[in-house]
Amino acid sequence: MNAPDRYERFVVPEGTKKVSYERDTKIVNAASFTVEREDHTIGNILRMQLHRDPNVLFAGYKLPHPLQYKIIVRIQTTSQSSPTQAFNQAIDDLDKELDYLKKGFEDEKNRYEEKLRQGY
Amino acid sequence: MSSSTKLSALDMPDVPMGHLPEHLHLQRTRVVCKADAPIHTEGIQYSGAYASTGVDISMGPNKFCKNFKIEVVRLTEDEIEFDMVGIDASLANAFRRILIAEVPTMAIEKVLMVNNTSVIADEVLAHRLGLVPLNADPRLFEYLSENDTPNERNTIVYKMEVSCKKGGSRVTVKSDQLKWLPNGSELQMTTYDSSAKAKSYTSFSCSQDSLPEFSKKPLGVRFDDIILAKLGPGQVIELEAHAVKGMGKVHAKWSPVATAWYRMLPEVVLLKEVKGDDAEKLVKKCPVGVFDIEDLGNGEKKAAVANSRACTLCRECVRGVNEELVELRRVKDHFIFTIESTGAFSPEELFIKAVKILEEKCDRVISELS
Repeated sequence: MNAPDRYERFVVPEGTKKVSYERDTKIVNAASFTVEREDHTIGNILRMQLHRDPNVLFAGYKLPHPLQYKIIVRIQTTSQSSPTQAFNQAIDDLDKELDYLKKGFEDEKNRYEEKLRQGY
Repeated sequence: MSSSTKLSALDMPDVPMGHLPEHLHLQRTRVVCKADAPIHTEGIQYSGAYASTGVDISMGPNKFCKNFKIEVVRLTEDEIEFDMVGIDASLANAFRRILIAEVPTMAIEKVLMVNNTSVIADEVLAHRLGLVPLNADPRLFEYLSENDTPNERNTIVYKMEVSCKKGGSRVTVKSDQLKWLPNGSELQMTTYDSSAKAKSYTSFSCSQDSLPEFSKKPLGVRFDDIILAKLGPGQVIELEAHAVKGMGKVHAKWSPVATAWYRMLPEVVLLKEVKGDDAEKLVKKCPVGVFDIEDLGNGEKKAAVANSRACTLCRECVRGVNEELVELRRVKDHFIFTIESTGAFSPEELFIKAVKILEEKCDRVISELS
């Protein structure tokens, strides 16, 4: 009865930005990014990639409430980088890795099908 | 007292430079499944985790590309099993989540009941129709939102007319009774304005089978032996069903996989030498045949690990007396994926689609902030 509509999980309503940014006033080089209409699928991956960056001191994500479909990613970096830079870098790295993964899978699939065909 | 040069503990000759000591490497790359619960399950990616030992485990895309490997083990029309080495659990889980919930498919959404005198209630029958997997490729269709009119680009129309003759035997209604209507809906919408032309529920501007993509493969149901209802003598079902494009996130009927799952590669290690009768007992204990007997020359028998990949973690080999003999481990970055498709896509296309969807998600999340 009180459950929100299912399409709310991925449709960003008019007027709200997909990603919003809030600098942390008390800690230098720290910021929180609120990503609307996303969940663990992208949050956990982003956190993992941020951890791999040597300039990142703190990276974490949370879903404030399971019925509010957004994630908050908190990043603190060294002075050599900035949270926005680390965020963008992490996503770019993920893009590259996924491209490589897709190509690798397609190559392997073609190789396997070739092998099957020659086995006949 | 002669002054001796102070050696750091890390420069001691038996600790290799730049690498983690053995036990830390085990902690970092293996989950050890003990008899009661697994340990070392957390993934240590933080680049500074071992900074005090001088080891840097940061990873960029180049290092990832060097360590990454894929191997297809089995590929059939409906199912694929493949190994991915070098990715993290969060990526594997993301692919699983996307395969189940975010790859779009076609499924029946609206059911227009003309006549239903069977024992199955209208809504129950409509629910069952929604779950029937269809043979339609969702890439050829667009999403239908509330204010759009249903046309040949976003709807598929099916009709079902079954009746059981009075005095005849019972009829089982199977999914092959769903007939595809390429020309759109045949039912007229009731208008209160008698002068206006009667409108149909869908406005197809051209027949769907005239379009080249559909003439190759007629749009039907994937499996024709799904039982939808049973009719007794004199009962009739007459309905029209409209199928639209959707995602598993909204309702499970739009999920393109029967299921998709992954498991980590098992690694079974014998901590001590097991000989003779104990070896026989150990081999018999395992229900899937992980262990095997190895004959050493003079009639002696030794147990060895033959097929650790088959281990299902039943823990029979570590129960009771045997706890000290075997160690069950899982390799943290080697995943064995299995994808079972319901038929709209082939399983390898499904995985490629899932990777594309994850890339699109990443692109949407890249901020437009300065």
